[in-house]
Amino acid sequence: MGTFEQPERPRFFSGPALLLTLLVVLFGLFSIRLWYLQIYKNEFYLNRAQDNRTRQSTMFSPRGIIRDRDGLLLAENAPAYALALVREDCPDIPGTLDQISIWTETPREEIQKSFELGRQRVKPFDEQVIVSNISFDLVAMLEAKHHDWPGLAIVVRPKRFYTYGSTLAHILGYVARANEEELLNDPSLQLGDDVGKQGIELVLEQKLRGSKGLEEFEVDASGRILSSRVLSQPVKGDDVNLSISLPLQEAATKILENKAAALVVMDAKTGQIVVQVSLPTYDPNDFVVGISHSKWNDLLEDPLHPLQNRPVQSSYPPGSVFKLVVAGLALDSGIMTPSSTIFCSGQYTLGKRSFRCWRRGGHGTVALTKSLVESCDVYYYQVGEKLGVNAISNYAIQCGFGAKTNVELPHERSGNMPTPEWKLKRFGERWQGGETLNFAIGQGYTLATPLQVARFIAALANGGLLLRPTLLLEKADVIGELPMTTGTRKYILDSMVATVENERGTARILRRPGLRIGGKTGTSQVVKLMDKYEKKATKEIPYKYRDHAWMASFVEKDDNCYVVVAMIEHGGGGGAEAGPVVGAMIDLLFPVEIGPKPEVL
Amino acid sequence: MIDRRLFFHINWGLLVLVAMLFVVGAINLYSASTLRGSEGLELDVYFNKQLLWGGASLCAMTLVVIFDYRHFQAIAWPLFLLSFALLLGVALAGKSISGAKRWLDLGFFHFQPTELAKIAVLILTARILSRIEGRLGWINLGKTVLIGLIPAIIIIKQPDLGSALNIMLILGGMVLFKGLTPAVFRTLLVCIPITLPFGWFFLHDYQKKRILTFLDPGNDPLGAGYHIIQSQIAIGSGGFWGKGFLEGTQSQLRFLPEKHTDFAFAVLGEEWGFFGSILLLVLFCSFLYQIYVVSLEAKDDFGRYLVAGVFFYFFWQILINMGMVLGIMPVVGIPLPFISYGGSASVINFCMIGLVLNIAMRRFMFKKSG
Repeated sequence: MGTFEQPERPRFFSGPALLLTLLVVLFGLFSIRLWYLQIYKNEFYLNRAQDNRTRQSTMFSPRGIIRDRDGLLLAENAPAYALALVREDCPDIPGTLDQISIWTETPREEIQKSFELGRQRVKPFDEQVIVSNISFDLVAMLEAKHHDWPGLAIVVRPKRFYTYGSTLAHILGYVARANEEELLNDPSLQLGDDVGKQGIELVLEQKLRGSKGLEEFEVDASGRILSSRVLSQPVKGDDVNLSISLPLQEAATKILENKAAALVVMDAKTGQIVVQVSLPTYDPNDFVVGISHSKWNDLLEDPLHPLQNRPVQSSYPPGSVFKLVVAGLALDSGIMTPSSTIFCSGQYTLGKRSFRCWRRGGHGTVALTKSLVESCDVYYYQVGEKLGVNAISNYAIQCGFGAKTNVELPHERSGNMPTPEWKLKRFGERWQGGETLNFAIGQGYTLATPLQVARFIAALANGGLLLRPTLLLEKADVIGELPMTTGTRKYILDSMVATVENERGTARILRRPGLRIGGKTGTSQVVKLMDKYEKKATKEIPYKYRDHAWMASFVEKDDNCYVVVAMIEHGGGGGAEAGPVVGAMIDLLFPVEIGPKPEVL
Repeated sequence: MIDRRLFFHINWGLLVLVAMLFVVGAINLYSASTLRGSEGLELDVYFNKQLLWGGASLCAMTLVVIFDYRHFQAIAWPLFLLSFALLLGVALAGKSISGAKRWLDLGFFHFQPTELAKIAVLILTARILSRIEGRLGWINLGKTVLIGLIPAIIIIKQPDLGSALNIMLILGGMVLFKGLTPAVFRTLLVCIPITLPFGWFFLHDYQKKRILTFLDPGNDPLGAGYHIIQSQIAIGSGGFWGKGFLEGTQSQLRFLPEKHTDFAFAVLGEEWGFFGSILLLVLFCSFLYQIYVVSLEAKDDFGRYLVAGVFFYFFWQILINMGMVLGIMPVVGIPLPFISYGGSASVINFCMIGLVLNIAMRRFMFKKSG
C-alpha cells in the first residue's frame, strides 16, 4: 500500500469488539465454574450442606438390671445429672471452666484434665461431659443461670445405683467412668460413659451395656432445632438374675461382722453360688459418682484390703482341709486301706527335723476315719512321705486345685499346688523332703482359694462332678470328675459326717438334728510354728501372726445339698473360729422347723 | 418532544430481557426472603418492597427515555456537581447504617448519592470522551480519570469500596472502549499490575481481611471465610436441577449470609441448580449482547460512549458479584443487577437501561436531520 497508515488490525481492547470479547470471557469463565461446582463437585458440597443442617446426638440406653435369685433388685438405674459443654457455643471456654470449678467445688486442674481428655473425642456441637453427677441443687441453680453461660448444658443420663451398697460389693463390682485405655479399646464407648470395672459389672459388661441410639436433628444456622428423627433406637442392656440370695447374703454379712473373712455357700448339685461374702467391704456407689482421692487412698492403704474379693482373689494354705484330698489319694493309690493304722506319738521325725502333730500328746493308733475326725497330722506326714510330692500335686490338680474355677468374677487367683520343678523355677532351690510333709497337711506352699475348696467339697457331695461355679441362675458346666473311686469318695464323705457327729470330731460344733452334715476344719499357719507363740492363746498372738481358720462343710436334707465354706483370716483355730460361722449359716439355710419353711431359696 | 414513530423503534428485545431478569430476580427474592422456622415458612418484607421499587424504577426509566439523550450533554456538568455536593453532604450529615455513612434521609426513603454519582460520572465521561479526537494520550487520560477519581475518593471514605471500584471500573472500561494510544496502552499494561499492590495500604483492615480470606477461606471458616464457604456449599449442593423452589437448605436455614442482597445468586444456584444458573447466565449475556448491539447502531459518539458506559456498569457488577458468589473473586459488596434486593440500585439500573433504550430508539433520527 505504501502509506504510513498501518492497516487496522482487529482490535479486541477497544471499541465494540472489546465488549464482545468481555462477553465471551464472562460466559466462558462462569459456565466452567458453575459446571465445576454444581456438577463435578456436587457430591462433596451436598455432603457439606447436609453436615451443616444436621446434628446427631446419642440416645443413652439404660444398663441391664441385676436381680438376686428371687428377683430382688440389686443394681438399678437412677437418673443423674451431668454438666456438659458445647465448645462451639461457648465464647469463653477457660472462663466457663473456671466457673464450673467453683460451682462443683472441683479443683480447676481436674476440670482442665476432664476437658483436655475429651476435646479430641467429642464431635463439633456435641455435648462434652465435664463433671458427671452434679447435685440436684446445682441443677436447679444452673437452670436459672443457664442463659448467662452459653455453651453449658445439663445432660441427664441413667446412673447405676447399688441398692444394698457394700453387702454385694465384691459380687456386683461397680461401674465408673471409662478411662482413656478403655475408650481406646472400645470404639462404641464415648467420653463420660460408665463401664464395668469390677465384679459382674465387668465380666458381663457386654451383656449389661446394651447399645446406644442415634437421633438426628435438623438445625438452622443459629443451632435452633427444627425437627428431629430417630436413626436408631437405643437398646436396653440385658437384665441379669444372679444365683445369690440377698437375704442370706445380708445375714451372712452380719454373722461375719468385724472379721476379715470369706464365706461361700454353693449349691452342690448346680454349682450356683448362693452366698459369697468377703469382708471387710466397701461401698460400690462411691465409685459410680467418682470416688474421692482420700477415700480411694483409705481403701488402698487399709491393712485388711477391703477391695480384695477373698473367696476368689485370695489364696491361703488350706491347712487340714487339704487332708481330704490326701486321704482320697491314699485310699485310691492303695497305700492305705480304711483299716490300716499309723501310730501318732505327737511328732514325726524326718532326717534331723521333727514334725509335730497339733496335739502334742499324740493320737495313738490312728486309722483313716480317725485321722480326719481328729485331724491327726502325723498320719498325713507318713502318708505324704509315701505318696511323694508329685503324686499329691497331680491328684490335687485333678480335684480342681491349682487352677482358676472360671466363675463370673474377675482377677481370680489359681492358688498353688507345689512340685519340685515349681520350687526350682520359683526360688531356685531344691525341694526338701520335709516340705512334702507340710504339703500333705495343706501348709507351706500349698495355696487354695475358698471357692476352690467349696467346689471340691461340692464334688465330693454331688457324686464326683467337678463344676464351674456360677453366680448366674443357670446350671453350671461340668468340667470334669474327681479322680476318686466312688467308694473312696463315699468313705471320705462319711468321715466328714463323723467329724461332725463324733464326740471328739473337730467339727462337732456343726451338729444339727435332722440334717446330714459333714465338715472338715483347717488351721493354716501364717508363719511356721514359732515356739514363741506356740503355747499361747490366739488372743495373745499379734494379729498378723495368727492362723487362718477354715471350716469346709456340706449340709444335706432331702434333695438339697449345700456346701458352706468359711475362712476367717487370722482367726486362730478352725473349729473354734470358723465353726460357729458355718453353723449359723446352716441354721439360716435350714431353719429349725417350727412352721412352714420361709421361702428364702 | 416525543415522536410517535419513536415508539416503533423501541428495542423490544432488550426490554423483554430486562423484564425476564426482573421476574427471575423477584421469584428468587421471594425464596431468599423466606425463612424456615420451627412454625413453618415466614416471608420477610424484601419481596414486597422490591416489587414497589420495581414500579418506581419503571417510572424513572420512562422519564429517562422521554428526553432526547443529546440533551444530557448539557446537564452533564450540573448533574456531576450535584452528585458531588450530595456526596459531600452525606459525608457530613449522612445517616449511618451498620458503620457506613451512605444514606441521605429524604423523609420517605433513604437515598444513596453514590448511585447518582455513577450516572453522573458516566454521562460526564461520555461527554468528555466524545469531544476528544482519536485515541487518548496521557493528558486526556488524566483529565478523564480525574472525573471518576474525585467522587471515588469520597465514596471510599464512606467506606464503600464496592461503589468506588464500580465507578473507576466503569470509567476504565469507557476509556478502553475509546481506545488508548499504543504508548499509553503498553505503559499501563506494565505499570498497573506493578502499582496495584500499593493499593493495599489504602485498604481498611476488614477489606484486607476479605482479600486474605479470599486467598485462603479455610483459614477462618467461622469468621471471614464463612461467606465464601457457605456460598460455594449452596451453589455446589444445587447439582444439575437444583433442590427446588423454597427447598434450599443453605438459604432457608440461614447458613447463607446476605442471601437477599449480595449472595442472592447463591440462593438461585442452590434451588435451581446448574440448569437455572446457566439460564440466568445466558439471560445476562443476551442482555449485555443487546447493549453491545445498540453500541454498534448508535449514531453519534456521545451516544456510543453512553451505551458503552452502561455496558460496563452492568458488566462489572455481574462479573464481580457472580465471581464472588462462585468463589473466584474476593468478597466485595457489589450487588447483582435485578437479582439482589436494593431500592436505589434498582432505580439506577432501570435509568441505565432507559439510557440505552433512549439511544436505540433515536438511532434513525440523525439520518433524517443529518
